[in-house]
Amino acid sequence: MSTPLTEQKIKVWDLPVRLFHWLLASCFLIAYVTEDDFITLHTYAGYTIIGLVVFRLIWGFAGSQHARFNDFTHPPKTVMVYLKQVIRFRADRFVGHNPAGGAMVFALLISLSLAILSGLVAYGAEQSSGPLAGLMATAPLAIGKAAEEVHEFFADFTLVLVLLHLVGVAIASIQHRENLVRAMITGRKQAPHSSIHQRQRK
Amino acid sequence: MKARRLILWLLLSAATQVSAGANETLDGYKRLGAGPFNPETGRQLWISVNTPQQDAAERSCADCHGTNLSLPGNHLRTGKVIEPMSPTTTPERLTDNRKIEKWFKRNCKWTFGRECTPQEKGDLILFMQKQDG
Repeated sequence: MSTPLTEQKIKVWDLPVRLFHWLLASCFLIAYVTEDDFITLHTYAGYTIIGLVVFRLIWGFAGSQHARFNDFTHPPKTVMVYLKQVIRFRADRFVGHNPAGGAMVFALLISLSLAILSGLVAYGAEQSSGPLAGLMATAPLAIGKAAEEVHEFFADFTLVLVLLHLVGVAIASIQHRENLVRAMITGRKQAPHSSIHQRQRK
Repeated sequence: MKARRLILWLLLSAATQVSAGANETLDGYKRLGAGPFNPETGRQLWISVNTPQQDAAERSCADCHGTNLSLPGNHLRTGKVIEPMSPTTTPERLTDNRKIEKWFKRNCKWTFGRECTPQEKGDLILFMQKQDG
């Protein structure tokens, strides 16, 4: 199991990426569970998510190699080809995000942003609360109700994406025999070497 | 692909919102052991004045929705117009089981400081249905 080669670990996820990841996961869980039963906690979780998403957009340009968007931006066709490879258990190992994982990052950021936006509109229009309260002061309640429907849809849609993300992490961990959850905690992964890294095969 | 999936999800979520409305809701309450329901009991609950929390302002359903349900109400907090609660005046009232439960939960907590019982909700629905303008 532990030949000297397998001990070759390299830093992949920088600390800000890891903190972002686990804080976002926690805040989304809190926001999803509380709904409007604990509206204060719900909104604090939501505001924190705004800050986290804004940070991630900046870090996508300013972060370390595998945090940057250009490290995992692929055309949709590449993503589909990669998913087909995954199904046939022939997917390449990537040290950073693989093409499917990269697409998931963008899908999550977009879905969360739409959930945030609609949530702010709903909170402003229905309760005259939150940062959009002034802007929504004269908006009819129907606008708030409609925004709330959109908000709930994208909250559910985000949850579906999270579940797909977990499935993807599990599959990639099995296919490449590495613990990706631990990698997101420690930031370290095994360095690519020829016995695992077979990108030139096809 | 993503767009197609999104449309599928939108359709799915829309499909789950279609339901038979108030009668189905009332049947659900009966299965929970509630009933028979009485619109007059519902009316008493509607106008009852409550203190949901200690030191909080007194609240009643009528504060926002008024006592004549064929007339629009006024949201206490935002001052915005609330469409009349009577299904005769506002046809989409009491048509969506999911929305009925959502607003009962939210507004009972705000007004009474607790969720309403199936019996109370049944009485309130009958009261709203009886207010035919």
